[in-house]
Amino acid sequence: MDWTSWVISTVSRALAFGVPLLWGTLGEIYAERAGVVNLGVEGMMILGAFMAFAVTQSVGSPGLGLFCAAMVGGVAALVHAFLTVTLRANQYVAGLALSMFGLGLAGLLGRGWEGKPLSSTLPYLTVPGLSRIPVLGPMLFQDQTVLTYIGLVLAVLLWILLFRTRWGVAIRSVGENPATADALGINVTLVRYLCVVFGGLLAGVGGGYLSVAYRPAWTEGMTAGMGWIVIALTIFAAWDPLQAIWGAFFFGALYHLSYRLQAFLAPELLKLMPYFFAVVVLAASGFGRARWRRRAPAALGVPYVRGER
Amino acid sequence: MKRVLVAVLAVAVLGSLALAATKIKAGFIYVGPIGDYGWTHAHDVARRIVDEKYDWLETVYVESVPEGEVETYIDLLVRQGCNVIFTTSFGFMDGTLAAAQRYPDVIFAHCSGFKRWDNMATYMADFYQVYYLNGLMAGALTKTGKIGYVAAFPIPELKRHISAFTIGVREVNPKAEVHVRWIYEWYNPAAAKEATEALIAEGCDVFAFTEDSPTVVQVAAEKRLPSFGHYSPMYDFAPDYVVSGQIVHWDKIYEDFLLKIYKGVYTTKNLAHVDYWWLLAQGAVEVGAKPGMLINPKYEAALKNYVINHPTFGKISVYDLVYIRLNQMADPGITFDPFQGPVYDRKGNLRVPEGMWMSYDALITMEWAAAGIVGPWPGEP
Amino acid sequence: MKRLGPFVLEPRLAPSRAAVLGVSLGAVILALLLASVVFYGYGRNPWQAYVQIGRGVFGSWPSFSEVLRRAIPLILCGVGLTLAFKAQFWNIGAEGQLLAGAVAATGVALFLPVPEVWRLPLMFLSGFLAGGIWAVLPALLRVKFAVNDVISTLMLNYIMIYIVEWLVHGPWKGPTMRGFAYTDAFPMSARLSYLPQTRVHWLTLALGIGAALVAAVLLARTRFGYEVRVVGQSTEAARYAGINFTAVFALVMLLSGGLAGLAGVGEVAGIHWRLRSPAHISMGYGYTAIIVAWLARGSPLAAIFTALLFGLIFAAGDYMKTALNLPFQITGVFNGLILFCLISFDILMFWRVRLSKREKAWIGQAGSSAR
Repeated sequence: MDWTSWVISTVSRALAFGVPLLWGTLGEIYAERAGVVNLGVEGMMILGAFMAFAVTQSVGSPGLGLFCAAMVGGVAALVHAFLTVTLRANQYVAGLALSMFGLGLAGLLGRGWEGKPLSSTLPYLTVPGLSRIPVLGPMLFQDQTVLTYIGLVLAVLLWILLFRTRWGVAIRSVGENPATADALGINVTLVRYLCVVFGGLLAGVGGGYLSVAYRPAWTEGMTAGMGWIVIALTIFAAWDPLQAIWGAFFFGALYHLSYRLQAFLAPELLKLMPYFFAVVVLAASGFGRARWRRRAPAALGVPYVRGER
Repeated sequence: MKRVLVAVLAVAVLGSLALAATKIKAGFIYVGPIGDYGWTHAHDVARRIVDEKYDWLETVYVESVPEGEVETYIDLLVRQGCNVIFTTSFGFMDGTLAAAQRYPDVIFAHCSGFKRWDNMATYMADFYQVYYLNGLMAGALTKTGKIGYVAAFPIPELKRHISAFTIGVREVNPKAEVHVRWIYEWYNPAAAKEATEALIAEGCDVFAFTEDSPTVVQVAAEKRLPSFGHYSPMYDFAPDYVVSGQIVHWDKIYEDFLLKIYKGVYTTKNLAHVDYWWLLAQGAVEVGAKPGMLINPKYEAALKNYVINHPTFGKISVYDLVYIRLNQMADPGITFDPFQGPVYDRKGNLRVPEGMWMSYDALITMEWAAAGIVGPWPGEP
Repeated sequence: MKRLGPFVLEPRLAPSRAAVLGVSLGAVILALLLASVVFYGYGRNPWQAYVQIGRGVFGSWPSFSEVLRRAIPLILCGVGLTLAFKAQFWNIGAEGQLLAGAVAATGVALFLPVPEVWRLPLMFLSGFLAGGIWAVLPALLRVKFAVNDVISTLMLNYIMIYIVEWLVHGPWKGPTMRGFAYTDAFPMSARLSYLPQTRVHWLTLALGIGAALVAAVLLARTRFGYEVRVVGQSTEAARYAGINFTAVFALVMLLSGGLAGLAGVGEVAGIHWRLRSPAHISMGYGYTAIIVAWLARGSPLAAIFTALLFGLIFAAGDYMKTALNLPFQITGVFNGLILFCLISFDILMFWRVRLSKREKAWIGQAGSSAR
């Protein structure tokens, strides 16, 4: 077996499949950093996937399609924010409701759009110059869409924003101790709304990537559980945008390898590999010295009520 | 005046009743969504064709019916007045049989199963001959000698298709291999995509598949690699790269069956031995990138230029071979079958002896893999 | 206290029974109203549609029995989930636990050489244990390794799905099924009997109602129930009280998953008589049961009724698909809407609404300290 070709294809596929996971995870990290769990990622992604396809098919512009996907993800997240921040509903149940509703609604709206080829898709890029580098070229600079690179840059920028700016301090303090943040003059409600909606925007783009780039067609339920992997990745990445990169691409690689390795291992066992690893990785990261580093934001999942200390 | 009106009304009502007695209301129970662009979509297209053709026929359908729920839906359809019910998934078999016994006045037809009753027939349109013809073309088009096949589930139907395909490939290209990946879902585009990518990474350069989405065609086209469509016409998804494919015409079966009920040939008493197993000869299946386009013109030259030394026909281009084989299988007096002995499986066992064909029972329970198939084969004998 | 026009809202610590019932009913009604939009979208008069559905579902005993049949797995899973939720353990894994029960029952039904009279009891017992063990796993992961319970239970669903897939395609594939991925049919001694004219496997139904009663007593009257409630309310308090977290979580999840396992036994022994592809064994009962349990507000007895409500929605969905020819996704939209309305109404239960003259009210930000 030719090892370089194995490495090249695995890394390249890991990037391509990891993109929606990366976008979704970055968004969820921000929501959770501000103290709001959104289990509705699956619903937001599927709505994004449908919207991106419908708009791209009608207008012919994948860019506009992705923009609308982000919008619909943002609107869905806004509902979640309203329920959980303003109405202080249980965040887990609100997220589950969003996932159910999103899957149902996207399926309902998407009925006329199934089985149609997409006229204009988000192009796969071959980066001039860089793609000619041996090994690295085909690995990183071919067969990727622009969203791969934007996602990577975004991860870095979001890390800087979160850990190196005053805004980041505000977001983190809202997630850690909203009462203190409030006392310091930070608008807890506003920060939470913004972070949750931002998470929805990114999840929408992640979903849109699936229907206009990854596999340019609309099919019902095409997110196939990716939203749930995103939730696991958020914890796996310890709520850190940079670690989300490794996490997303690790799962992308696993998913690809579960088909590549079929020649050597039982297919059914390979299919459960990503889910099995999600549990194992979480268990390993909850174990031993790493535990203190991987602590969730202290106020995660707790609605904030002013005047209650 | 009033009395006249009543009389007129009565006549009208009676008239419509008499008409209703000869009407057929057919219910279709599907396992998937009609938008799946595969199995269920094809059945629904056929339903609409026959529905529009005959005014004595009314049709209704239910989609995405879980296999264990088929009896519930049959109850609902019978209550709505259906007198013919088609169930289109193997998993509906036992439920349909139980319902057939419970409703002796309703005619049932179950697709792809093997249990029948006085009022329950079975039917199937099978693709294995078509896959063989596609295999001939694939064998001629591969440059790496590796052909990729994305398959849904390791069940006899798919094993039969993959083996027939591989026999075709090997007939024109004895060294070529068919690499198989299973996705364990009829319908999961992401899985189909990664499986195709895995096959591309292994060096496959021509693709065929059995699953319910056009994913494989699209992914192969992105890499400028040719592929064969499955079930519905997939030419439009990649006009430059869909070489040919398998197209089903369930309407041929539905039309025949419903007409015979209408004419009184089939009743609720005489279906215990009615089993449609329709192939190329009956027109239930077709080879082609889209209806009427057997081979995509873009690939005609390549197939005409690929000339082999055939044991039966001597020097012949694959293009001509495809047409000869098609005629041998499509003409009423069928003179050829892909599984014509001697056929060996990939472990070297003789599966079909010289000069023999496989029986219907052997075909529908087939588990072995033809020589040339590479990859996992759950349940291989 | 909050002023909204002429109304004054006052917080209350614990919602009254009437408030819970009223608010929950209001939420369901609002969801039905919202869902009317969908009917309009398909060009149907929602009122007529609801009437027609009502006639179709309640019209006869056989058609109404479908509500009961669909409610059976929901009662069992729902009661189990009320227990887990009471301890603030987020068991999203009833689906996988149900399948685990179905697998164990199939093993006993097809492969265990036991006297025929023992077969069904052993199927239920093994199903309970299998579902329970599949649920104890995330409990231990949470206590020992700090693994988030939502994720672990969810991931275990997927893992169980592929285990079932592997079994029916591999070692358990039935020799009489001509290579298709199903096990052979169960022997007669492993099949549940029905109520007349229906497919209601009454034994599982009885088990569900029994389980609800036992769970209610367990929660209200035993030390274990007390510990569950304390753990659920505050981990701090539980620590002070010297409660053994591991034991409480493990036991509560054993019961929660065990009941889901029983539901799985009921489905394979009552409906399918074989193991088949997981998507066809459970119609997402494990996920719907989350709403059932949430709507029941932690009361196992109430879960019987909320399960019946969702049994009704399932049966109505079947009817809509055939009689009104509406797309099947409508049921998913329905469930989502009901859940949305329910949780957004939640807050109302903690407020008392009172009409009052406009006065200079103290406008403060009162909150629900009950949670």
